[in-house]
Amino acid sequence: MSKNCFKFSLAVLLLIITFIYSMTSGISDISVVMTLKSLFSKVDDNTYTIINKIRFPRVFLAVIAGAGLSASGCVFQGILRNPLADPFTLGISGGAAFGASVGFVLGMASVSWIFLPLFAFTGAMMSICLVYSLNVKKEFDSNGMILSGVVASYIFSSAVLLIFAILSSDQLYSAFMWLMGNLSSFDERLLPVITAVIVAGIIILCLFGNVINIITLGHEKASSLGVNTTKTVKYIFLLSSLMTALIVSCCGVIGFVGLMIPHITRKFVGNDHRVLIPMSVLAGAIFLPLCDALSRILFAPVEIPIGVITSIVGGIFFMFLLLKPSGKITL
Amino acid sequence: MIKAHNLSCGYAGHEVIKGISLSIKNGDFVGIIGKNGVGKTTFLKSLSGLIKPFSGNIFIDDIDIYKIKKSVLAKKIAFMPQTMQFDFPFTVKDFIMFGRYPYMNIFKHASGKDFNIVREAMDFTGVTEFAERNISELSGGEKQKVLMAQTLSQGTDIIALDEPTAHLDIGSQSSIFKILRMLNQKYNKTIITTIHDLNLAGEFCSHLVLIDGGKVFNNGTCDEVLNYRDIEKVYDAKVVVKTNPVSQKPVVIPIYTDSKEK
Repeated sequence: MSKNCFKFSLAVLLLIITFIYSMTSGISDISVVMTLKSLFSKVDDNTYTIINKIRFPRVFLAVIAGAGLSASGCVFQGILRNPLADPFTLGISGGAAFGASVGFVLGMASVSWIFLPLFAFTGAMMSICLVYSLNVKKEFDSNGMILSGVVASYIFSSAVLLIFAILSSDQLYSAFMWLMGNLSSFDERLLPVITAVIVAGIIILCLFGNVINIITLGHEKASSLGVNTTKTVKYIFLLSSLMTALIVSCCGVIGFVGLMIPHITRKFVGNDHRVLIPMSVLAGAIFLPLCDALSRILFAPVEIPIGVITSIVGGIFFMFLLLKPSGKITL
Repeated sequence: MIKAHNLSCGYAGHEVIKGISLSIKNGDFVGIIGKNGVGKTTFLKSLSGLIKPFSGNIFIDDIDIYKIKKSVLAKKIAFMPQTMQFDFPFTVKDFIMFGRYPYMNIFKHASGKDFNIVREAMDFTGVTEFAERNISELSGGEKQKVLMAQTLSQGTDIIALDEPTAHLDIGSQSSIFKILRMLNQKYNKTIITTIHDLNLAGEFCSHLVLIDGGKVFNNGTCDEVLNYRDIEKVYDAKVVVKTNPVSQKPVVIPIYTDSKEK
């Protein structure tokens, strides 16, 4: 237990450092001291605006999104007992991408800030409902869930390509950038809602750690231990889907976090979901702001989509873990 | 006392068990035998509260098990599946602790008592030396013992096992059944197990239930059930039943040559 305490403290420390680092990185050069000063007291208007109005919400969103995506990815892998489960394979991201594309083609994206997230969220919910209704009679069997998610993903991504074919080139560019994941275009007014839902969701999921442990033993064993697996899997699936849907409809499709962060965390803390879920949350909350900072500074002043960074950085890091001789791929 | 009353059950409208009535006394060591696909496992799962019957009831100490909460039932009967996928490589110790789940909830985690019970279960099944290893690294026989320790730590008076020795060598088979015998004789646990190996069944069980076509074909002590007429009829094979010279228990020897035809 004390080993885990140490790991938790280390992760929290890293999170704080990452947060401050992300706040200082960007096109305008603002020192750490100035950044901290600006957060807690009034400084010159320009710095205040950059730090408090632009960077803070963005870094904060990255923390929340990273935490939420990896929590739900971790839980999906647990309840479906499948290492490939994540927002992509369950079709949630595909649905969001489709919804957003519809928003773009109807020109709604430019009418009001709320429409794009709304359309994306609707799309994600469509996909969740589809996967849910296909599996409700089959007691949420793991293979059935993944298969129907993959099928939903395919259908939606083809629909997205279809829509792309009829978009004007301007629309196409903004739609494309959105689909690759983007933390710069979101509206600050969504932040309180997202924060509330994700934080509440994470707390609930963390409390369910031991139940998820039991569910990983399989339907029969879990039932014999007194867990109503069908019901539990259903509610946990709906909750994590909702969390994912909210995040992807605000930030676009950010790949890899939900799949890889839990895997990487497993390597460090093992498979006990009571420890694994909170640790994944912290790891995701560290990883995403870092990727976002990279996306801002790598090719400055051009910003590259964060989805590209997460996939490349996360993928390479994971490959190193695979290459390590002792690096057994657990799960 | 566990009682099945006119039990019919199966899967998605397909009836496998067709009206079984049976009672098992506390402290019995019951083997459920029969051909592949006659519903041994289905029957066992239904007894354990895992498959809701189409009709009929199951009572443990006069309580209908499908009318009480699963979490309450989990303290009365433990079920050990034939195979388990070890998707997540937990350590043996953590894995066995999951058996204590019925005594925990979202806010109540493992206490000193739970750790003691897990330690006892590990000593009893002889897996203490693997306590820190990953379960996925163990051999088939070792895994089965760990699974047994988990089932044991659930602390129930009734233990139901589905083919606990399938795919095991004869040494592992006998060590699993010796553990079961000790649980039965020393701790007065009621053991119900499905089993294919008639010789293991004859050696260790106190009662046998021979199932054929979803119904009880014969039911009684090993000497009563393991007679060559019934076995030949149900299994559609030629056998000779002898007595084990050491234990004086019945032994079933299959005959593969058909002398009459030659």
